[in-house]
Amino acid sequence: MSAPGKTEPTEAIARARAGDADAWGDLYREYAPAMFRFCRRALPTREDAEDATMEIFMKLRDKLSQYDETRSFSAWLYKVAANHCWDLLRRRRIRQDKETDDVADVPLEHPDPNQLDRMIEQSTNDEVRRALGKLGARARMALVMRYYSDMSYDEIADALGVRRAFVGVVLLRARHELRQALGERGALAAGGAL
Amino acid sequence: MSDMDNPLGDPASGDLPTKHLDEMACLLYIERQLDRARAQEVSAHTQDCNQCRTLLRAMERESRLLTRAMLEEDEALPSRLAQFQERTRRSMQWIWGVAFGLAATGVYALYTGYIEPWEQQLAQAGFGSTSLLNLLIFQGAFWKGWQSVITLLEVVAMLTLGGFGLAFFRRRLRRGSALALVLTGFCAVGALLMSPAASAQDVRKGDTTEVRSGETIKGDIFIFSHHTRIDGTVDGDVYLFTQDANIGGHVKGDVIAFAQSLRVTGDVDGNVRSFTNNLTVTGNVTRNVLAFQEILNLDPSGKIGGSLTAFAQSFNLDGQVGRNLLFFAQHGTISGTVDGKIDAKCEALRINGSAKVGGPIHFEGENAPDVAADAKLAAPVDFHKTVHKPKYEEGGYYVWQVIWAAAFVLFGLVLFQVMPSFSKEAVVNVEHYGASFGLGVLVFFGVPIAAAIACATVVGLFIGISTFFLWYATLYYAQIIVGALVGQWLLGRTRETWPLIGRMAVGVVIVRLCTTVPHVGGWVKFGVMLWGTGAISLALYRRFQPAISAGLPGAPSVPTPLHPNTTIGGAVPA
Repeated sequence: MSAPGKTEPTEAIARARAGDADAWGDLYREYAPAMFRFCRRALPTREDAEDATMEIFMKLRDKLSQYDETRSFSAWLYKVAANHCWDLLRRRRIRQDKETDDVADVPLEHPDPNQLDRMIEQSTNDEVRRALGKLGARARMALVMRYYSDMSYDEIADALGVRRAFVGVVLLRARHELRQALGERGALAAGGAL
Repeated sequence: MSDMDNPLGDPASGDLPTKHLDEMACLLYIERQLDRARAQEVSAHTQDCNQCRTLLRAMERESRLLTRAMLEEDEALPSRLAQFQERTRRSMQWIWGVAFGLAATGVYALYTGYIEPWEQQLAQAGFGSTSLLNLLIFQGAFWKGWQSVITLLEVVAMLTLGGFGLAFFRRRLRRGSALALVLTGFCAVGALLMSPAASAQDVRKGDTTEVRSGETIKGDIFIFSHHTRIDGTVDGDVYLFTQDANIGGHVKGDVIAFAQSLRVTGDVDGNVRSFTNNLTVTGNVTRNVLAFQEILNLDPSGKIGGSLTAFAQSFNLDGQVGRNLLFFAQHGTISGTVDGKIDAKCEALRINGSAKVGGPIHFEGENAPDVAADAKLAAPVDFHKTVHKPKYEEGGYYVWQVIWAAAFVLFGLVLFQVMPSFSKEAVVNVEHYGASFGLGVLVFFGVPIAAAIACATVVGLFIGISTFFLWYATLYYAQIIVGALVGQWLLGRTRETWPLIGRMAVGVVIVRLCTTVPHVGGWVKFGVMLWGTGAISLALYRRFQPAISAGLPGAPSVPTPLHPNTTIGGAVPA
């Protein structure tokens, strides 16, 4: 998770479930930054991320009674957030037809291990985030779910609506897209797409 | 999946060192998704194969880079998110106070200012009732008697069930289908309303339609034609959609007429509701007459047993009215008999010598009434001269503006609560200025025309009337939507319902203020209506765009498997 080692605020959760607005405020203050970052990585614009963060917390407030206390609270938050963001992206993709699934049909080229190593060496965090913004919705969402919120393959499969066996494929294709985006930015000036 | 079953690459070439790991195997290995045996195979291979070991390490580093880049706190929490909770709480407090204060004021003012006086006036005109609901439903123009109560109860039951159903499925339905369901429900209710009546109806169309003398129609009759004559008997109601009509026979029910010219020379046992250019009554109407027309003549032989309520340009009464007379006209002449009282508002009123009035006469007009000395009046005319001064100079004008603003806020409050998601979308669409205005113009002029065309057919009548009312309500809703945007400009954007309602309240007050500015206020109002109507239409249009159900594992989302050649350089030559 984004905040490894963080203890679960069980008392605040219990009070928030009982309707304590202050407790809910505490939870919000604790988790809002991480949730905003999640949305910022998953959605195309900052404004989208802000709106989505607010909507997610409104949704969480309504759904707090459904939270199973035996499970991780932050995992539950990310699950709700992932579903919300993916729903937004998918609806937008369908309406605006910006994305195509044709990419999935293109065979992946073989990466040269040394070239890949060099590219990783040369890429900064900022460049990776910018490259992430260039990815298709599903690729970006899959990477964010896996590498930001540490969601399991089962959870990712559930959120994206794909079979579990395909999660690895989705992630690998997402990595290829990311490498290509980083390559276009000049990190791999001579190597081309890996 | 083959990649997971066989993490090692090309199986064609024999010994392990001659094969390289494919990229998927490396990914699943570092993600700990392989079973123990296969993971050991991969581990063993990478100890011997430098190329695969390099790839594995590169991919591990890639994973760490991704995690690091994503977790890095590169942006502070935006201030509007930081203040989100606090603002929400503050907003809630003042919105509750304002909303309920305005709502209570609006309801009280509307009731005492409009509904109660209307109720009293209508009661005087023979529409008396114990409640407004009864007045509207059971004594309205389309009330057809107690036999319709069963149908009404059925409709109410259906609507209640539908409401529960919608509430239950609201979160499960996609937006377009929910809206389609509502519209289908409306159509179903319309069909239900129409179908039982249709079974007892006679519908006649043509250039000239006639119910001949001696002919008897059992039940109601709907007539759509240019020229209509009813000389026979109708044992039910008559609905006329015609150019000119003459009712010379006997109608045992009500007459509801939309015509250029209507003459009642025969007998009508029920009421006459007339929306015509000219209405002439020379026969007998046992109950009441409600008429909207340019010219109304109650001839000397004409007799109305109940009350007469008229909105006309020219009003001439030579016959007899059994109860009260209420009329608004440009010119009014009374030469006949009115057994009850008279309430009149017109520019000029003349009461001739042959007139006989049994009750008091209240008259408001430009000039004093011209009353013949030999007219038989129970009491002198109570005359109030109409005083003209700019409405802006009257205190009451501002009071009413406040009342209207309160009513708008109340209306918006209800709409934003009933349709929070749709309202938010409409507010978002207001900012698409070009599309909103363009569509607004189209809808503003096109929908009433389409509704009027739909009304020309029996089947389309309900839809046409419903559409017209919907369009009319949308004009008000449009002002609320634009108000919400104005509120957001001032107080910042929000997606939450209650803060949005607060912004709507502030914005509506500002919009209403702008519409009261002399000379330009009307144009502002018109522009706001176009703008908001377009935004609402745009939101509606977008709702009808196809969207895949969230619960379905969409087939297009399943990626195709990796190409079989996804290995590191393929098989190494022996």
